[in-house]
Amino acid sequence: MKKNKLLDSPFAVIFCNLILFLLIYFTVMSEYMISLAIIAAVIIAILVVNRFDLINKIFDLYIRHKKTALISALVLGILYPFSLTDNVYVAHIATLAVIYGIACLGLNFQMGSTDMTNFAPAAFMGIGAYTVGIFTVKMGFNPWLGMLAGVVFSGVFGFLIGLPTLKTKGYYLSLVTMAIQLAFTELVRVWPYVGGDDGMSGVQRYKLFGFELYKRYTIFGIRMSPQIPYLLLCIVFLVICTYIAMRVYFSRTGIAMNTVAQDEIAAMCMGMNVSRTKLFAFVIGGMYCGLAGALFVGLEGYVGPATYNFQKSLMLICMVILGGMDNSIGVVLGAFVLAIITEKTRDFADFQQLIYGAVLVIMLIVRPDGIIPWRVRNHDLITKRKPKILERFKPEEDIAEKAQLKAEV
Amino acid sequence: MIRMSSMPISEEVMKMSKNDLLLEVKDLYTSYGRIPMLMDVSFRLREGEICTILGANGAGKTTLVKTILGMVKADQGTITFLDKDITNLPTHKRVAGGIQVSSAETGTFPKMTVEKNLRLGAYNIDDKNLLAERLEEAYESFPVLKERLQQKAGTLSGGERTMLALARAYINKPALLIMDEPSLGLAPIVVDEVFRIVKRLNQENGMSIMLVEQNVVKSLGVSDYGYIIQKGQIIFEGSPDEIRDSAILDNPVMS
Repeated sequence: MKKNKLLDSPFAVIFCNLILFLLIYFTVMSEYMISLAIIAAVIIAILVVNRFDLINKIFDLYIRHKKTALISALVLGILYPFSLTDNVYVAHIATLAVIYGIACLGLNFQMGSTDMTNFAPAAFMGIGAYTVGIFTVKMGFNPWLGMLAGVVFSGVFGFLIGLPTLKTKGYYLSLVTMAIQLAFTELVRVWPYVGGDDGMSGVQRYKLFGFELYKRYTIFGIRMSPQIPYLLLCIVFLVICTYIAMRVYFSRTGIAMNTVAQDEIAAMCMGMNVSRTKLFAFVIGGMYCGLAGALFVGLEGYVGPATYNFQKSLMLICMVILGGMDNSIGVVLGAFVLAIITEKTRDFADFQQLIYGAVLVIMLIVRPDGIIPWRVRNHDLITKRKPKILERFKPEEDIAEKAQLKAEV
Repeated sequence: MIRMSSMPISEEVMKMSKNDLLLEVKDLYTSYGRIPMLMDVSFRLREGEICTILGANGAGKTTLVKTILGMVKADQGTITFLDKDITNLPTHKRVAGGIQVSSAETGTFPKMTVEKNLRLGAYNIDDKNLLAERLEEAYESFPVLKERLQQKAGTLSGGERTMLALARAYINKPALLIMDEPSLGLAPIVVDEVFRIVKRLNQENGMSIMLVEQNVVKSLGVSDYGYIIQKGQIIFEGSPDEIRDSAILDNPVMS
């Protein structure tokens, strides 16, 4: 009994968060062999623990103590970058992982929730990134304005892609998005205005109230690596994005998405607007990816076609599959794991793809649903807020009245 | 073959007030690409009645249901539901307007429990208390489901799944319930049960039901009026007795 009480308390959530962050910290900081070993150990541990359905319980816990989870995650997230001190390379990996996490959350709306495999997340990222590039390098605007425009543009692009793909399903939809991805890479490669093959370098970095976000600072006498403030910014964005994603997950739209994924015709028959739901998934997913792209530029200070190619798309898709479809937390975790593996194995680049592939194959065999898999949504939450209901042609009372009349006669 | 749908509408139908008319389909043409599926289909469904559409495989029954629901676009003709022209409305608006369908095709969600399936069906109910009330009612009407609330819908038997689909439509208290082949693939004893429930829904709740069926004897047994559809055309209409008496069912294609 006592143990159960402790397990249900908000302290358990904080404890879980702490373990998670310590794991991420050690994985990022240590040598590649050790970090790979840690990842392998964690995955095996998850598989063992899952026998007792513990992951679902922990997930429930997080949902019950939403605020505690969020605040403790934010606090730990903010403390985390300072622990990296002046290790430039590690800070770089950590920032990349966080940015990929945002992109994967976006892709998850399409791939996980609505079951539309989008092979063009990197194209969406590219639109966000190129918009920032054009706004700052070519037009000399503030990069924040570029980020805003990038998010809007990729949302609009998502809408434009979504429209013609409403009628295509399954493999055909994937083929369409694949073509869009390839066309995007090719377009920016041959378009001289955006630099063609060379891309655009010297993209202005973000500043916050005159406070440079990409600069070495010394805090308490410790010299920090230059990415630290930027990493902080990305973490804040990630937490906000996760929060929004969770809200969508539990909303009526989220439930509609889930239903569309399972059976489109049935979803229609239940009065769900299938077209709107699909378009929503494309637009919000596009916006997330656009934001990730805009943040990516801020990190690298350069946009080029090679960064947003088909391979990047595949990597993002693998992250979503690895982490667990239709699960915001799982997807972010998948992004972290794969980003760390990719960067850690950079030392032997020849085998990088091999290791990467091996991880995926093993995962798909032992746990095909991903680390934290798909869950059925809690439908009690549908009626939590008063939704907008479509007009009913005839009130139910009339029907009941008629029945009574008929019975009397 | 004699086309009888153009015969004068019976006096009874003429007499009925406009308010009583629930669904009216007029001169409906539908096609898949260049293949015509429905040709000049017209029928009426009055409030509080069970209307049967009989037809063999490939006669266009399911196409008719899909056209009424808006999943297939009508090439010509009008569909009027409760004095509103719904011919060009999207499916979800028609459903919200009070048409529900339960069929093998719109089936259940196999990975979800029975309870979640039912709750999903209540997507258009905005009141939590009302929803709880409706669920209770549904469990009462379909006791089979109450025993299996936490079971995955994929593990239910065919009959139970049909009940689930029915219950899901029932929760919304629709003005019109369309049932697309409820007896498909069920054991005879279960079919009897399904038709008993259909009759009960109609009598106790005053639900108007459009029954689309192949099972002639059973469906005529419960319905108030019937249409026979063949090769995309309505070839006969009348009360169940008239249909039974007519020689039309002796045609080997129909039986």
